[in-house]
Amino acid sequence: MDVKVKPYKLPDIDILKDKNWPDYQFKTWIPDEIYIVLGQSNKMDKSLNLDQVAKDNVCVYRRPSGGESVILTPNTLVIATTIRVQKLENPRKYFKMANAKIITALSYLGINNLNQKGISDIAIGDKKILGSSVYRTSQVVFYQAILNVSESTDLMEKYLRHPLKEPDYRRGRKHSDFVSSIFKEGYMISIQKIKEKIH
Amino acid sequence: MRYIFNFPDIGEGLDEGTIAEWYVEKGQQVSSGDALVKMETDKVVTDIPSPKTGTIVAIYGKVGETIHVGNPLVEIEIEGVEGEAAQEEAKTDFTTEPIEEGAGVVGTMEVAGNAAFLPSSTEGAAQSKDEENKPARKSLATPVARAMAKDLGVDINQVTGSGPAGRVIISDIKKFHSSFGQASMEKTIIPDQTELVSYEPLSQIRKAIARNMLESKQQAPHMTVHEEVEVSELVSVRSKYKAIYEEKEVKLSYLPFVVKATALALKKFRTLNSQLDMENERMIFKNYVNMGIAVDTVDGLVVPVIKDADKKSIFELAQEINEISNKAQKRTLKLEDMQDGTFTITNYGSIGGLHANPVINYPQAGILGVGRLVKKPVIKNDNIIIGTVQPLSLAVDHRIIDGGDVTRFLNQLMEYLADPISILMD
Repeated sequence: MDVKVKPYKLPDIDILKDKNWPDYQFKTWIPDEIYIVLGQSNKMDKSLNLDQVAKDNVCVYRRPSGGESVILTPNTLVIATTIRVQKLENPRKYFKMANAKIITALSYLGINNLNQKGISDIAIGDKKILGSSVYRTSQVVFYQAILNVSESTDLMEKYLRHPLKEPDYRRGRKHSDFVSSIFKEGYMISIQKIKEKIH
Repeated sequence: MRYIFNFPDIGEGLDEGTIAEWYVEKGQQVSSGDALVKMETDKVVTDIPSPKTGTIVAIYGKVGETIHVGNPLVEIEIEGVEGEAAQEEAKTDFTTEPIEEGAGVVGTMEVAGNAAFLPSSTEGAAQSKDEENKPARKSLATPVARAMAKDLGVDINQVTGSGPAGRVIISDIKKFHSSFGQASMEKTIIPDQTELVSYEPLSQIRKAIARNMLESKQQAPHMTVHEEVEVSELVSVRSKYKAIYEEKEVKLSYLPFVVKATALALKKFRTLNSQLDMENERMIFKNYVNMGIAVDTVDGLVVPVIKDADKKSIFELAQEINEISNKAQKRTLKLEDMQDGTFTITNYGSIGGLHANPVINYPQAGILGVGRLVKKPVIKNDNIIIGTVQPLSLAVDHRIIDGGDVTRFLNQLMEYLADPISILMD
């Protein structure tokens, strides 16, 4: 069982690395394969089904932001933004700002019953379709989100353990009962179209 | 003067965080605003800046340790400020900044010494004025605990606080709710068996169907034309090849022929393989034919798509129809199986219907309804014979397709179906 965690080098990190942050920048990308991304202080043995991850040779990264582990696949959309800040404010403000933009875009595509749940999730009804987290310094807030467009929860059950911390609205539900996708909720919208609309 | 800097509520309403990285060490000089420590809460990793300029004289907690809101993070020796003056400064800091949405934020976290608690809500102060007139006590609580209590329907004044100064924190609400709230919920949710109607939530698929049907009917004025075509030759071709296909474990129905014939007809009448783009005031003609096949499942209607249907053989179409049908029944269709259709066929004949007014799979331009084959008297070469008749119902978006186009398209389609060899020749 040899799983190595790599520092986060996936495409959205580019907007954080360039220190000449504009007031606001935005990046979306579609993963080309399956990746697992740990939150800043997630422990692999607590978060992942390590045997399975090792067996399938899945790449594991650790992102700079907080939150629980996630799976990126070609059926998910990664959304990232940086906001240049003068002072540190309540992170809920940034979750609200970024999530509002995404909710608006998805609403334009005809998706209903969207709402922000927990600290920073976006849900359709009480099923989570997007998780987000934030890394912030005194100069910049880096928001990262994973939107599940059409990925089955089978992969989550396969690679991820039940999170150590969960939002109240999860109520102990396992991945397959708690997480949904835009497709599963009955919206047949291509990931490209969603990417274009959100961008 | 030593200034004790406590871990502030960074605004998520959580009562703890984990130390991810220390940026400073004991004895280090820091300026106001310098990052002291990287803390992680449930969703946020954040640098916590120093509220003061001075020297770090103590650090509390190691990397990986959990610190509760209100507990000390560091002690800073502030130069040039002594005794009570420093305490006053700290107290002033505590109250100067406004608190956003009732929660502490990093910009206002200069909380020092024993005053290192979140600012209490104003309700505590108001209480003293009205205390005599109110029969029940009013709890001190963090804003997030108050919000959670409201969400869960918990009377916060009934909850005993375990936070600083007896403040009610979220773990108190959770505990109270799990012990009392659950019990009361269980008592109240008893289905009434005497109801004359029952309510069931809509499934996601039903919601999607409802939404799509409504959109289609609202956006596209439908026109439907009904036709019948005599398909005895198709019946004999199909029966001839059915057994051959079965050897290859492929079930041959009439549908692959209808799909192929329709796809070829669409290549000739491109308006039916188009869509109207009102926003940009233009037509979008599709130079490929992706045929949606409406499949009836126990959950409702789904429409998987056969890509490039015009380029596929009858055998390939039969194979693919079998596959998507199986997937639909097993609910294993993926988004990509159902995307990018350019025209749709609905085969209600397989269940028994004859004619229908099908609803267009918007924004496509048309949908073909295929009824069940029936034996009927037909006239061939001036003789009345028993023929096998295939009913067809074609609904189109009348904004972009006129009656003439529909008729010409149907004529071509019927020609193919009446003479299946022509499908292969064209």
